[in-house]
Amino acid sequence: MSICYSSPSCTGNFISGDLFRRECKLSLKPGRFSWFNFNGFGSLQMVSSQKSTLSRMAVGSNVSEDTDDMYDDLFKKYGKVVFRRNDQKSTSAEVDDDAESLAFSVALAKVASDVKAADIRVLFVKPLVYWTRFFIVATAFSRPQIDAIGTRIRDLAEKQYGRTATGDSKPNSWTLLDFGDVVVHIFLPQQRALYNLEEFYGNAKQIELPFENQQPFRS
Amino acid sequence: MIQPQTHLNVADNSGARELMCIRIIGASNRRYAHIGDVIVAVIKEAVPNMPLEKSEVVRAVIVRTCKELKRDSGMIIRYDDNAAVVIDQEGNPKGTRIFGAIPRELRQFNFTKIVSLAPEVL
Repeated sequence: MSICYSSPSCTGNFISGDLFRRECKLSLKPGRFSWFNFNGFGSLQMVSSQKSTLSRMAVGSNVSEDTDDMYDDLFKKYGKVVFRRNDQKSTSAEVDDDAESLAFSVALAKVASDVKAADIRVLFVKPLVYWTRFFIVATAFSRPQIDAIGTRIRDLAEKQYGRTATGDSKPNSWTLLDFGDVVVHIFLPQQRALYNLEEFYGNAKQIELPFENQQPFRS
Repeated sequence: MIQPQTHLNVADNSGARELMCIRIIGASNRRYAHIGDVIVAVIKEAVPNMPLEKSEVVRAVIVRTCKELKRDSGMIIRYDDNAAVVIDQEGNPKGTRIFGAIPRELRQFNFTKIVSLAPEVL
């Protein structure tokens, strides 16, 4: 089973959250042979698990005549959702995981602010992309400072949370630390303006940081 | 399956339009490059009035190939075109936005920056 993905036809089609519902809906387009929308990788397993049903409309058979009937049958049998991954977590477990990631990302943001990173934003990007939950975007003003922030963050993650980061090991003008569910971006001011990640993830919910409102101590 | 002399589309807004692979970075005498590999390429076609110009030599990461990409789950992904993203020596993308769909394998190859700029990840 293979998927031929034509990029120009589908670009920008589903950046919204409903891609990640991981359901397959039957598309109702009689005459055109498309029996599932490609919605993440769950769809393939659908094909294998529902092989008996789908074999009736195997590729090459004359589908145009009774497509509607077949769809009606399928709808009757399975409802609108024909497949749901069984390894999906319950909503409560999901909320717990989110809370854990949130605590972790706020702790990382706190560390970054201790090393005087500026303009720290924590974005909840889970509704927009499936591959991570939180983005931390911060600005540092020199490479040594980026190094300091990176090292502090790695240390804290390793000591307190037992997690290691992949991504850049050397300080870079855009340093990225990837903890799986939390991705930390540390930019130099110029690069931050250039890549403008906040604008790209403009629909993401911004998390308010507890230490943000405190007035900096000035002597 | 990208080899020297292969022409690739550019999947970002760096200003290059078409690249030609001239070398695959990695082991010596490597025959083909696949998704996630870094290549040295020459710009064959460029957008006017942009920082990158024709016949400039750049590094690029392959993000889409016509050759199928197999996953452990049994899934196979095949794109309509060969496409690459221009990067600098440090691995930062030269463009600021990526176009089209990108496979998630790039994240395992430490190109999370490209993944985080992409509009959709397969």
